[in-house]
Amino acid sequence: MNAPISSSDLTALSMTEAADAFARGEVAAEALVHASLDRIRALDGKVNSVIRLEGDAALAAARAQDQARSAGRPLGKLAGAPMMHKDMYYRAGQVTTCGSKIRRDFRPTVTATVLDRLDAAGAIDMGTLNMAEFAQNPTGHNRHFGDCHNPWNLAYCTGGSSSGSGAGVAARFFTAALGSDTGGSIRLPATLCGVTGLKATQTRVSRHGVMPLSFSADNVGPLVRTARDAARFMAVISGHDPKDPTSAREAVPDYEAALTGSLKGLKVAVCETYFCEGADQPVLAAFEAALAAMQAAGASITRVKAPSLKAINAYTAMVSRVEGAAIHANWMREYPADYAIHLSARLFGGYAMPGHLYVEGLARRGPLLRQFVAEALTGFDVVATPTVKTQVPTLAETDIDADTANWHRFMAVSANTRPFNYLGLPTISIPCGFDDRGLPVGLQLAARPFAEATVLRAADAYQQITDWHRRAPKL
Amino acid sequence: MEPSLVLPMMEMIRAWSGVSVPNAAARHGLADHLALIAELEALRGSMVFEDEPSGFEAALRDCQEPAR
Repeated sequence: MNAPISSSDLTALSMTEAADAFARGEVAAEALVHASLDRIRALDGKVNSVIRLEGDAALAAARAQDQARSAGRPLGKLAGAPMMHKDMYYRAGQVTTCGSKIRRDFRPTVTATVLDRLDAAGAIDMGTLNMAEFAQNPTGHNRHFGDCHNPWNLAYCTGGSSSGSGAGVAARFFTAALGSDTGGSIRLPATLCGVTGLKATQTRVSRHGVMPLSFSADNVGPLVRTARDAARFMAVISGHDPKDPTSAREAVPDYEAALTGSLKGLKVAVCETYFCEGADQPVLAAFEAALAAMQAAGASITRVKAPSLKAINAYTAMVSRVEGAAIHANWMREYPADYAIHLSARLFGGYAMPGHLYVEGLARRGPLLRQFVAEALTGFDVVATPTVKTQVPTLAETDIDADTANWHRFMAVSANTRPFNYLGLPTISIPCGFDDRGLPVGLQLAARPFAEATVLRAADAYQQITDWHRRAPKL
Repeated sequence: MEPSLVLPMMEMIRAWSGVSVPNAAARHGLADHLALIAELEALRGSMVFEDEPSGFEAALRDCQEPAR
């Protein structure tokens, strides 16, 4: 056993650092969980990232990992790492609120496959996290459980819908969190809170036991500190699941082995249109600085045009909103007042969209994917964009419930993330700077289908030459 | 001023789905559809349905990275 790590340093460890330290015998899982629980209890009153803390169960799970290590039994890839999950992943018999009043007492009868896989890998699940109601907003507002607050500045949005996941990882409450992403709900809180978030290829990760929002665009994935964390997390949760017949059968590569730490030879495409149009100057400055850093480290940067984005953007808005409206139709008839104003308003619009245009949006998804790949990913490894065009907005200026005039500010948050849900491409967001108010800016990297290893390799190599991902908010 | 399209859309939704307008923000959201309608109008004629069977999952498989 190596020298033990002091308890004050434990919450500073990333997920892989914590799991590796545990595997080497440098720290006990129980100590890791105690440190996380103490920090949450001391500081989450400001952030409001947690819905239900399962302290006793987490400590029992940690002690079981400690005993396994002492007995010399094989350890899982995430053994000892404290994590939590967005409150929309089902655990049989336990309340799963989905951030809503309607499901405040909902107890599912199944357990999500991703939770089973994380349990089997030895991750210590400490409970459930705040989120946008039914995962349906990009800002982090929640009328029923209270808004989640950005740890960098409590007046600002965390991004949504995985608000507690992004805020909690940024606040060093836990090393990793499960989020979900239908229009940016992993990448937005990752960006606004200054952490790393990965949305995988559509169908890459099982959705069994996960609250549906849009059958065509829902994705499961991690919010963590580093690309290496995301690689290890993805290795655990990816792959076909017989309980989710829509999950892909493509082999899962060794994502961590793909992390070379080098940007040499990486070919980066930057779409001249759409992603930077109307972007705030501090965002553009951080984005261009990130590109320059990548180029200086050996990557090539090429500006390309992608005319397909006009159609992609239009159909993106159509498909997920119609599917969300269909899923919520019974509750919208029976309990409309149980939804927050911004959510029922958004769902309502889905019922006005004509069926033939929805079918058109689905039918053209494959051809538009082929077209976008031809425009932006043929001869290139990744497409780079700012994850969010605007600087981090305040909770007040995106609060539709308080003032409907905030509608456009609210909807604009996810403009750059939504297209990649329609396209189904693996996409990561990593911190690439801070603006003049000390709030984070995100860099988004997308690659061809099932090329998670490519975006992880690029993101990890960028994190080897920068330290944005190491910065922590002071709470 | 609210676009003239909003009231007929509200009626249509109630008739087809049985869902009534929940609040003023929902009317604002319907008015916002005009921008999406304009985007879709601009696409008319630019794309055609393919005669051959096609699927999104097949496109995902076909568009993977070439073997290195």
